[in-house]
Amino acid sequence: MPFSRKSNAEKTITGKVTDEGSIGLPGVSVIVKGTTTGTISDSEGRYSLAVQDDATTLIFSYVGYLSEEIAIGNRMAVDVVMKPDARNLNEVVITALGIKQESKRLGYAVQEIKGSELDKARETNFVSGLAGKVAGVQVMSSPSGIGGSARITIRGDKSLDINKNQPLFVIDGVPITNALTGSSGRDFQELDYGNGASLINPDDVESMTVLKGANASALYGSRGANGVIVITTKSGKNSKGLGVSVNAGLTFENPLVLPDFQKVYGQGNNGEFSFVDGNGGGIRDGVDESWGPKMDGRLIAQHDSPTSNGYRGGDISLIDDGQLGSPADLAARGTITPTPFVPGNNLKEFYETGITNNTNVSVTGSNEKGDFRLSYTLLDQKGIIPNTDIKRNTFAINTGYNLSPKLTVRIAANYVNSTSANRPNLTYGTESIIYLLHCWMGQHVNLNSLKDYWIPGMEDRQQFNFNYNYHDNPYFNLYENTNSQNANRIFGNISVKYDFTKWLSLQLRGGTDFNNDLRKRRRAFSTQRFPFGSYREERVRNGESNFDFLLTANKDFNENFTFGANIGGNHQIATTNNFEVTAPQLLIPGIYSFNNTRVALVSSIQDINKVVNSLYGSVQFGYKNFLFLDVTARNDWSTALTLPAIADSLGQTINSYFYPSASLSAVVSDILPMPEWVSFGKIRTSLAQVGNDTDPYRFTSGYGRSDPWGDYPVYSSTRTLVNYNLKPEISTSFEIGTEWRFLKNRAGLDFTFYNINTRNQILPSVPVSITSGYSNRIVNAGEIRNYGFEVMLSGSPVQTQNFKWDVNVNWSANRSKVIEFDGEVTDYQMAERHGVSIRAQVGQRMGDMYAIGFKRVEDKNSPYFGEKVLNESGRYLSTSNRIKVGNYNPDWMAGIRNTFTYKNFSLSGLLDIRHGGQIFSETFVVGLEAGQLEETLEGRENGYDINQPGNGVIGKGVIQNPDGSYRVNDVKLTAREYHQSRTGNRDIPEGGIFNASYAKLREVRLGYMVPAKFLSKAKIKGLNVSVVGRNLAVWSKVPHIDPETSSLSGGTIIPGIESVGMPTTRSWGFNVGFSF
Amino acid sequence: CTDDFVEKNTDPNAITDVTPDLLLPGIIRTGVNEMVNQSWSIGNIVIQHTAKIQFVSEDRYTWGDRDGLWENMYNNLRDVQLLLELSQKNNANNYRGISLIMRAWMYSILTDAYGDVPYSEATKGVSGILQPKYETQEVICNGILNDLKTASELLGPGEVVVGDLIYNGDVSKWKKLANSLRLRYLLRISDKKDVKADMQAILSNPTEFPVFTSADDNGTMRYLTSAPNQFPLYTARQGSFDEFRLSTNLGDKLTALNDPRITVFAQPTDASVAAGTPKYSGVPNGLNEVAALDYNGGPNNISRAGALFYKGSITDRGLNVAKGYILSYHELQFILAEAVKKGLVNSTKTAQFHYEEGIKAAFDYVDVDMPANYLKNPGVAYNDASALALIGTQKWISLFFSGLEAWFDWRRTGVPEIKAGVDNVNSGKVPVRFAYPRSEQTLNPNSLNEAVTRQGPDNYNTHVWWDL
Repeated sequence: MPFSRKSNAEKTITGKVTDEGSIGLPGVSVIVKGTTTGTISDSEGRYSLAVQDDATTLIFSYVGYLSEEIAIGNRMAVDVVMKPDARNLNEVVITALGIKQESKRLGYAVQEIKGSELDKARETNFVSGLAGKVAGVQVMSSPSGIGGSARITIRGDKSLDINKNQPLFVIDGVPITNALTGSSGRDFQELDYGNGASLINPDDVESMTVLKGANASALYGSRGANGVIVITTKSGKNSKGLGVSVNAGLTFENPLVLPDFQKVYGQGNNGEFSFVDGNGGGIRDGVDESWGPKMDGRLIAQHDSPTSNGYRGGDISLIDDGQLGSPADLAARGTITPTPFVPGNNLKEFYETGITNNTNVSVTGSNEKGDFRLSYTLLDQKGIIPNTDIKRNTFAINTGYNLSPKLTVRIAANYVNSTSANRPNLTYGTESIIYLLHCWMGQHVNLNSLKDYWIPGMEDRQQFNFNYNYHDNPYFNLYENTNSQNANRIFGNISVKYDFTKWLSLQLRGGTDFNNDLRKRRRAFSTQRFPFGSYREERVRNGESNFDFLLTANKDFNENFTFGANIGGNHQIATTNNFEVTAPQLLIPGIYSFNNTRVALVSSIQDINKVVNSLYGSVQFGYKNFLFLDVTARNDWSTALTLPAIADSLGQTINSYFYPSASLSAVVSDILPMPEWVSFGKIRTSLAQVGNDTDPYRFTSGYGRSDPWGDYPVYSSTRTLVNYNLKPEISTSFEIGTEWRFLKNRAGLDFTFYNINTRNQILPSVPVSITSGYSNRIVNAGEIRNYGFEVMLSGSPVQTQNFKWDVNVNWSANRSKVIEFDGEVTDYQMAERHGVSIRAQVGQRMGDMYAIGFKRVEDKNSPYFGEKVLNESGRYLSTSNRIKVGNYNPDWMAGIRNTFTYKNFSLSGLLDIRHGGQIFSETFVVGLEAGQLEETLEGRENGYDINQPGNGVIGKGVIQNPDGSYRVNDVKLTAREYHQSRTGNRDIPEGGIFNASYAKLREVRLGYMVPAKFLSKAKIKGLNVSVVGRNLAVWSKVPHIDPETSSLSGGTIIPGIESVGMPTTRSWGFNVGFSF
Repeated sequence: CTDDFVEKNTDPNAITDVTPDLLLPGIIRTGVNEMVNQSWSIGNIVIQHTAKIQFVSEDRYTWGDRDGLWENMYNNLRDVQLLLELSQKNNANNYRGISLIMRAWMYSILTDAYGDVPYSEATKGVSGILQPKYETQEVICNGILNDLKTASELLGPGEVVVGDLIYNGDVSKWKKLANSLRLRYLLRISDKKDVKADMQAILSNPTEFPVFTSADDNGTMRYLTSAPNQFPLYTARQGSFDEFRLSTNLGDKLTALNDPRITVFAQPTDASVAAGTPKYSGVPNGLNEVAALDYNGGPNNISRAGALFYKGSITDRGLNVAKGYILSYHELQFILAEAVKKGLVNSTKTAQFHYEEGIKAAFDYVDVDMPANYLKNPGVAYNDASALALIGTQKWISLFFSGLEAWFDWRRTGVPEIKAGVDNVNSGKVPVRFAYPRSEQTLNPNSLNEAVTRQGPDNYNTHVWWDL
């Protein structure tokens, strides 16, 4: 009893401290109020304390529980039931390497999310569910429909390699891969099969801790440089006896934002259109723009008009003569009987209601020897795009057994089978249905007319369409040209822990993550890009294994000093083994087999291995439970920085790198006297370094195999110039923060400032003039500085017996700047799409977007300063070089959650705000060009005769006179010319840039916990019912698209550039959970 | 703990060593494909074989950044450099000779399109030269001619060549190609330099410097029927193919000459086919978008380009006609006709002989029977007074779909008359060069600026050195 003190006039008070389940709580501090007299409870929660006679009140406090002040009165026995601290502000969190720490000891910012916040209003991609919930975390989903990838960054982009900015995911102490594999843009096919972390099942997540900076993650080594998301899965540890839980959800999805089309003019040009062969044989019927006749019911021959021979107008390949729309074909089809020309592009009807059914059943049990949890989850989802789906079965087991009082074995294992019959094609190009539906499809085309998508007698051979020039029938695309996936994934670990003494233990652990994914792509005959069809199978196998040991010591020297230390080592093996075979053309239509190939099969193999060995350690000192120092050190050895024998003489190897960190936490409220209304105050600071390596085989300069020429194999050398002297990257981060709670924890504030410098960045692809023979080279260059603020506020403005209102706000602002490059590199293009490039330049912000812009009046004395300049023919002039047109990063982000609780009801809403930043919209640029968007009605109020009132547009801007002065533009263009000139016929991407600010109603949940008294007979416990909604509304100035859209290119998610993506979805539905 | 790291970071699938036969087919295919694509996208248009009715910017001379030729040729020249080094190391003279020919051919296209370009310092990135100097066209032309001469001297019997997509290993034909190309490039610079002696030296010594003697010697690449080695346009979408139509310039000329080659170069209009009276009709170059689509009542009345250059390219006849082009026997005959006519060479044959031989070979080249009286037709029949115009016109017709050669040649001869279209945006001037790629402004600015200072403004209208 270290705190007790004898005195003359005293009595002894005894009692038991329990939790709400009547389980004794050991280690609870019991103090006489106003004195230092105190004790702590024993292993069963009992205490005995000698107090002076005048003692009136006892204070009971315990980590994770609300402090209780109990009047003694004249009692000799005082029992207490401790209530958990609902806000978890004094909680224990899981930190690096799975070490549990009291959050007050931490010298850096972490934020925890409970599994219960993720498993009701859920996202198919686990990562997307984090949006708006954590300060400093930005989530961008790829525009690819259900189960697509998501890009997550913490505290902004730190690496110039756009693919190297995502945090590490660690499940139950073992890293998993978050690769985005195989979505390559080859052969016009851009597909997204989901990122690795997307398969994490929210139902199995107990808690998630976001370690935001290098400080928090120094022990994870290089991959922790962008932060770490530490996930702990549910176990049976806290269950009593055998229990079964069920959690089921049913939600419905529809598109959140669709383009606003004009509904006045149909396909054609200059007001003219008439279908003959959809190939240019009629009047403007080869044109796929909507500058055609007014859709006022006038009679026009169309693809779905009947013909004299009983066919449809578009049935132009009835004779098998190998030629589309030959004279014989057209004769067989007959003459088209014109039908009323009316609005048809019924996009809203095209999108179906998505349905997501998620059911989880888990069984838990425990006794003094061990515990287990078995869980099964079914996710069955139908996308909003016809014939797209996901079916996912997840099995999880988490179990532990105490072989002896000192030896414990735990196993956590997950098996996921995720299948999809079809994942839609993405991005700008014929293979994508969005390219057609949102950009090019004639406004008069009735989508239902395309559902019967074969030409009679030519089934499997020739699709039916409204246009045969450029496009595929969207239903043909979705039902015939499928991209299926069958992924099997296993991840988990086995650990053995031996407690030598109370304060010394050793843990050995082996974990693996293995993914085997089979993908099949079918292309039917008559596909625009594949006239003879094609078939491809890709087998993607990747994963990693980690083997580690951890020796842990925790010793309290005396009442003032505590000490803890860890020493560990890790052996990490990452492997990728991809194999792909393609039949470029098929022999017989409709048979997708490699035996049915018309030409030689094409195959490729990719075999990648990487090993990193590490040793690390940490020491923690605590003084009087209010001052904490934590020091870590780690050394990595990476194969990726090791020269292969063939290059040994060409450079030098530095494959070993060391980095330390230190952090300090001071609980000032325990050090200094504080006013009554301050419940807790803490200041923390830390300094850390993290080293980083690169991808394997960077030193290999080889020859790539290209398509053979008949029997001749063909090779060509790589266009990347190798650097044999790569050094590891080092990032150094500093962080300082403070955390306060007031009014008995009713209000809280957490503030962090951080600064991160990343040096010696490994740039895998710095462009060089192709005249050198090489297009890019690998260099170490550059220093990026990231700094920013994170603020979290919490409070309960109203708190009564039955009603409670809680507010949680997180706010963050990040700036990433390029401090320097090496001498040769002055700027670096990180990505490019649609003429917009994302470039890093010295002194500038990361995420800057450059493109050809509008030429403007530069003379500051001119009354027209800043106006756009047009040429004599009334068209906008462009800048000669690319200029900065925006930045994809927001100025700040915020998440605001309000929760109202009334008796057993609770209502919560999460508003996600992003302020500042720009986005380029290809949907807008092409939609104007093609006359699809609402805006394009300007200038054709009365058709196309430019002399009629309301027709033609005089663009805003000035024309330079021959004498150098300017006059206001006076040249009228036709509507088509004008709207196309607004983006310089796609040559002035600045015309497609918008302010990307938005606010999104990210999540709404209305829950009802059925009172236990109603359930006692049914043996059901904890029945809760909720109505949930996600992404219910968005407010933004970006027209036609969700401002939170990125593009996907060759397996890279590019922020800031929208490239005709799938619409994002709004979802709402129900969730029911209970146990028995 | 890093003992096996060296082995672990060795790419198990990387090919780090190759033999010449593995590099050669890629070099030929890339270079030749690039020129087919250049022909279609710009060459046929600027020389007014075809004209556009949609997306008409090329035809109105807003050419944008024509960096494709630059990127693809220099990228391919890296492999040429590696093949040269490899064959030199192995004393593989035939591979070396062929590499030199390919290098000379590609540099000639680069310099004729852009003017001064990186040359002797180019493709040396491995030695640390990342910003190669641009050299004058005169220096480059000398280098090209030297390479071709060296190649001719190196090539000979004995060593087997595999992976040759042009002559299937017949080294004697490569030798003829080298010397025939020398004649092309000597004639190209003949307004600037006295090339008589050099031309004569070749023609006087057919043993040492053989040139093409028949169409069997044609330096052309025959495509395959199967993906991905078909004629590049085979995979184009119908709509993209249909944007390009017969130009009135070529169409009217062929009609006037009663030249049946029009049946290969173009398709009869849809309207005329529907009416049962197939007819060919073109559209003028350089109209604006609306005017081009409206011309003559719309696309129904305008001939598409020939089907043999599209879906028909995998038919037997298509394989014979739609070929990749380096140099042909008929072009050589027109070169000789002009050279004889101008007195640049003394030949045992007359200019008329070479002219008529060229026409016959050109008909053969596109698998069309020459009408019996064609050579006697007015407008075709040789006469000395208008010989250069006649030769130029026939050469121009024969160079349909032959890369950028017809454009290079027209810039020198001015034959036939090419006028900018009414809606052109280049002040009525027909472009005479490509602008340098924008990427050079950031990646190689000093060398670029030096070249621009020397050569003149970096626009379409600055004449290159040989173009007076």
